Amino acid sequence: MSDPDQRRRQFESIALPLMQALYNTSLRLTADGDEAADIVQETFLRAYRTFDNFRPGTNAKAWLFTILYSVFANRYHEAKRRPRMEAVEELEAPAGPESDIALVAAWGSRWNPEVERALRRLPEDFRTPLLLIDVEGLSYEEAAAVLGCAVGTVGSRLFRGRKLLYAMLQEYAHQAGYGKHSAPDP
Amino acid sequence: MTDNASHLGATLQDLLDERLDAARQTEVLTHLAGCPQCRSELEALRWVREVALKHLPVEDVPPALAARVVAALDVTDKQTVRRGWRRRTMAAAVLAAAAVVLLLLVSPSSNGDTLPNAVARDFVAYRDGTLPLTLHTSDVAAVERFFVAGGAPFAMRVFDLGMMQYQLVGGRLHRLRGRPSALFVYSGPGDRNLVCQMYEGQLADLPRSDDVREHNGITFWVYRAGTVTLVFWQEGPVVCVLASDAEAEAVIQLAYAKAVKV
Repeated sequence: MSDPDQRRRQFESIALPLMQALYNTSLRLTADGDEAADIVQETFLRAYRTFDNFRPGTNAKAWLFTILYSVFANRYHEAKRRPRMEAVEELEAPAGPESDIALVAAWGSRWNPEVERALRRLPEDFRTPLLLIDVEGLSYEEAAAVLGCAVGTVGSRLFRGRKLLYAMLQEYAHQAGYGKHSAPDP
Repeated sequence: MTDNASHLGATLQDLLDERLDAARQTEVLTHLAGCPQCRSELEALRWVREVALKHLPVEDVPPALAARVVAALDVTDKQTVRRGWRRRTMAAAVLAAAAVVLLLLVSPSSNGDTLPNAVARDFVAYRDGTLPLTLHTSDVAAVERFFVAGGAPFAMRVFDLGMMQYQLVGGRLHRLRGRPSALFVYSGPGDRNLVCQMYEGQLADLPRSDDVREHNGITFWVYRAGTVTLVFWQEGPVVCVLASDAEAEAVIQLAYAKAVKV
């Protein structure tokens, strides 16, 4: 990739088609459109600067999500602005009358309030594996690489995340026609 | 849902995500056949994965973000070029490179790489998937905002070709033989692609065309490169070009329909 134009073209071919997935995940991590955009821009910059280390044929999506999560984690953890953590027990209770103004503004008319609100309430440790594996389709191994943890850890967090999400959405699921006769109690 | 030593717990997720070997899968399925609680837990996990999270809305990338990303990459490219230049210490090499650049600038067609060739090459690159768009949207205004946010150095407009059954796909801030260009793409009948570019320049910069037409007082220069038809025209300081592998006269008619005399 010595020719700068060729390098730029190759990078754009690989990375730009993933901008929407990166932006959507960033939006769900931050619940803030401006913050999400900043993180995506920083992700592309870092990726471009280190593009020579990317091996063609490997999973570009996992590579870019690794950078995205690193940018996100640095911003929130170093600045101590990490999204509010709630006690796990509290999460299984129905959502209170919290303000959804920021979320609605970020997602517009396509916002799915029940699921998005429940996702937002999940602790980041449980939410991120859900976003990477269930929403973006990464494998356990790719998600583990993104998050910098063991595959088993990803599996256990995913399991907890799915259970918590279901507990929060059980009423919604029933209203939508799911499990009226067979769903378990939380 | 409960975790219980007599129930399967996280193993249900391994079954759902197909992470069990055949022997263990058989054991789990046998347990499920006689355990309503585990069946319910499995279905709840499945609902979360396949219903709740599979139907989340997908938000379009804001045009301003797409433009910001491109601008940031441009800045990085310029910084890289500047660092590269600083490393060059041999004055003769610098002079030689400058001479080559100057030669290319004053003799645009001396190496056969004409603007029509470059436009045709961009069309093929887009069609083959090697020229990505920065912004994907069918919203004409959003693409125009994207170009403005990206600092397009000239007034431009994105066509609405819906009446001609061409749907806008998106756009990118591009460079056409070194010139900034606004590139936007449509998808038409029969999955034909239509790539439009606008850049500051003059029709006189183009090589002579054998097919020059007039319509409503506007001059159109038509070129063909293989199956690709290219139609150039002038709007003030901006040159517009349509490139498509659709039938040639159809491409020309699209240009006729959208060209504005300035």
